[in-house]
Amino acid sequence: MANYHPTPEMLTDFSAGNLQLGHALCVSAHVEHCDECKTNLQRLNSIATNLFDGLEPASLPDTLKNAVFSKLDDEHIEEPVREKTVSSHIPRALQQFISESYETLSWKKVSSMIQQAHLSTDVSGSKVSLMRIQAGGKVPMHTHSGEEYTLLLEGSFSDESGLYNVGDFLVRDERHKHRPVVTKDRECICLTVTDAPVTLTGFFTRWFNPLLRRGHFSH
Amino acid sequence: MVKTNSSLNKERNIRLKGLMASVSEQRDKQAFGELFNHFAPLLRSYSLAREPGSTLLADELAQEVLIKVWNKAHTYKPELAAVSTWVFTLARNSRIDHLRRSGRFSTDIDPTALFESIEDDGPDPFQMAQRQRVEERVHNGLKQLPIEQSQILAKVYLEGKSHQEAANELELPLGTVKSRVRLALQKLELFLKR
Repeated sequence: MANYHPTPEMLTDFSAGNLQLGHALCVSAHVEHCDECKTNLQRLNSIATNLFDGLEPASLPDTLKNAVFSKLDDEHIEEPVREKTVSSHIPRALQQFISESYETLSWKKVSSMIQQAHLSTDVSGSKVSLMRIQAGGKVPMHTHSGEEYTLLLEGSFSDESGLYNVGDFLVRDERHKHRPVVTKDRECICLTVTDAPVTLTGFFTRWFNPLLRRGHFSH
Repeated sequence: MVKTNSSLNKERNIRLKGLMASVSEQRDKQAFGELFNHFAPLLRSYSLAREPGSTLLADELAQEVLIKVWNKAHTYKPELAAVSTWVFTLARNSRIDHLRRSGRFSTDIDPTALFESIEDDGPDPFQMAQRQRVEERVHNGLKQLPIEQSQILAKVYLEGKSHQEAANELELPLGTVKSRVRLALQKLELFLKR
């Protein structure tokens, strides 16, 4: 059960469709396994519905109805929704990047303790990747200059503010100064979305900037 | 007998569900025509709220969403949501997709996967009864919100503004915008307590 969740504003922006897709990916992967956020989200959707219903109807061009009707027969009915991969523990939102297991990704070594796999880079420069830190791995004290979203997918880690477990959703920015330590029993895998790609300031990555920067534009 | 606003709302929802069933089971074009008459003006208006003046884009969005209504009618689950809720999610996804195609959003993340994966799941009967109550509370509560709160919700949901963009436009500090949204959510008793 997650203890750290997206804020109400974040969920609101998510349900309205206003989050940039990297952030939306992170929120979606959290919500899928969080009943509380799922319920809240459904409730937010009912705000959306009511506002949508209450819109002043716009007048229609005469041609629109014919245009739509003329296309009804041409298009085939879509296949029933594809079946869920029930067995996979990978959030469904991430399955577009990872089919079977985290092992199949191309992991790049960042340090002896840390590996990174790149998933996507947004037009705004925001970057989505997975970080994998060995059991007991320590990350030197660092701060952030942009915002970073982190979702814990496997394992757990702690810092000065608390202990984080699977499903926990964190946002860190320049006000935070911390030193994450992965628990000793197992490795930790996180989904991270960083705002500022050129001066990488990730949760786990800032200290390794020089190393990461080299590979950044090769994606 | 004078009908209350909320019972009118309920009747309309039932009528729309009936039309959806005819479209889905009998491929009934007349029923689809009625859905078109109801939703096309709203969809057009939704698109114009974000991009005022872009009438071509508005036509395109309305057309795209309504064709999806026809093609995906069998995926609509009447026990989970009002038809309007389903159509809104189609419209929102269509808007996101447009932003992707126009290069304003990332192109390599598939947005439908993000929303479908969490909106598909069916609730248990207890939750369903609850959901009905929440729908009504929201429907009645929204009209009673102070204008400065409902104004921001409209910006976020209809105009597609982030909280930051809404703050810039209204020349308010971001904190004020956030707290107005939180107050509105509180007043609608929307969030589960943590």
